[in-house]
Amino acid sequence: MDKTEKIKILYIDDEVNNLHGFKASFRFDYTIFIAVNVTEALAHLEQQPDIRVILSDQRMPDKTGVQFFGDIRDKYPSPVRILITGYTDIESVIDAINLGNIYRYVKKPWTDTDIKTAIDQANQYYLTNSMLGIKNRELQKAYDELDKFAYSVTHDMRGPLLSILGAIDIAQGIDDIADIKEMLGMMDKSVQKLDTFIQSIHDYYNLNRGQMKITDIKFDEIVKDLKDIYDITGKTNKIAFEISVDQQENFRSDEMSLRIILNNLLSNSFKYQRRSIDNKYVKLDIKVSNSTAHITVQDNGIGIDEANVNKIFNMFYRATSEEMGSGFGLYNVKDAIGKLNGEITVDTKLNEGSTFKVTIPTK
Amino acid sequence: MTPDTLNFIIIDDSKLDCFIADKIIRNTGKAGDIKSFTNAATALEHIKETPPPADAKTTVLLDIQMPVMNGFEFIEAFEQLPAEIVGGYNVYMLSSSINENDLNRVKNYHSIKQFLNKPLTSSALAAILEEQAQ
Repeated sequence: MDKTEKIKILYIDDEVNNLHGFKASFRFDYTIFIAVNVTEALAHLEQQPDIRVILSDQRMPDKTGVQFFGDIRDKYPSPVRILITGYTDIESVIDAINLGNIYRYVKKPWTDTDIKTAIDQANQYYLTNSMLGIKNRELQKAYDELDKFAYSVTHDMRGPLLSILGAIDIAQGIDDIADIKEMLGMMDKSVQKLDTFIQSIHDYYNLNRGQMKITDIKFDEIVKDLKDIYDITGKTNKIAFEISVDQQENFRSDEMSLRIILNNLLSNSFKYQRRSIDNKYVKLDIKVSNSTAHITVQDNGIGIDEANVNKIFNMFYRATSEEMGSGFGLYNVKDAIGKLNGEITVDTKLNEGSTFKVTIPTK
Repeated sequence: MTPDTLNFIIIDDSKLDCFIADKIIRNTGKAGDIKSFTNAATALEHIKETPPPADAKTTVLLDIQMPVMNGFEFIEAFEQLPAEIVGGYNVYMLSSSINENDLNRVKNYHSIKQFLNKPLTSSALAAILEEQAQ
């Protein structure tokens, strides 16, 4: 067995001969720390946080093994405790279990097999417990995310619905068609906002729970789809859409993640434009070289305040009062880029525009 | 003496919600000046710079969840303003939130008169006007 794979054991006994005998018998199986008294034992525990099993003699001059275990339980809860004793009266057994929370009880005189079985089972117990600890922490994280999620979802889904409900209520008392049409326009926006939000949740779910499917990526084809969608938006809002794609080599990646990235970046660029200027534009540039895709999405829109740039990838963060955002898009972008081992940087200035640069290595 | 009309400030990032509140207020027939802000920071600037009329308090309808400056951030900054300005306003918090923490948090701010559920209805507004008339 490799030395690094050996599990760490602490043995405490006031009889030095026992300690040496123990070490001689098991030094090939475990990394053994020995202590002749409580002080030495505590020093070992302090220095070796990954000790998995502690064996202690019951009869020692300064403290009994049970008292020792009882004392260290709170500070060192992880190591599994085994008591070695010649006494087997029922009182000491009860004490051992109740005070010391003992996992096993080994009777003196012990055989090598007794000890080995006890330690191996204790190690199994330790592993199960620490796995449980890790799983619990993961679960806690998932719960925390869910709490945050549920909070914002109730707001982001109820918000548009309640607006529409309110509008319907008022519209019933209005006779002026122009007023009603104005309200319908705003209700339309609310519905679209809700729909975008639901699609983002779908993206989020796919990114977090879905399997990646690595295929050959043809950026030309992906871009053609995007062009179809955004050419219409561009024409309606008088935004020039310039595209350049340069792919001479093979590129393998997860197409769905790439689409989430491109779609969100482009939709932001088209959304957050400055209404006052004439030469509105969005530029998409994709270049594949040295097994890496370089994607640049640039616009001359409203830009982002420098003070808030570091928050834009946070879940539900919205940097502007423009009411179309859900605070989900760039979070999903960052998530997707992380899954593809890529990186994203942003260069932005308020009232001048934003440039997002993404690099993704081929899989 | 009860004034004939009341002034309002609506703060909500949703234009539709501003519109709804505006309509409902006008429908009461008691509306004076109504101002809508989709950005709470802009609303705060406005309040800082315009002294409220001395005879009647201005009613503020404030949304909670907004980008840039949310309802709670607004109220914290608002309560820092000079007492004669703060005293000129009745703030009502308005939200779609069904989150207990949000509802409890509202109680911590003495300048918030009440929490109202969205959407704003004419009966809820009538109750506010009633209260202010007393």
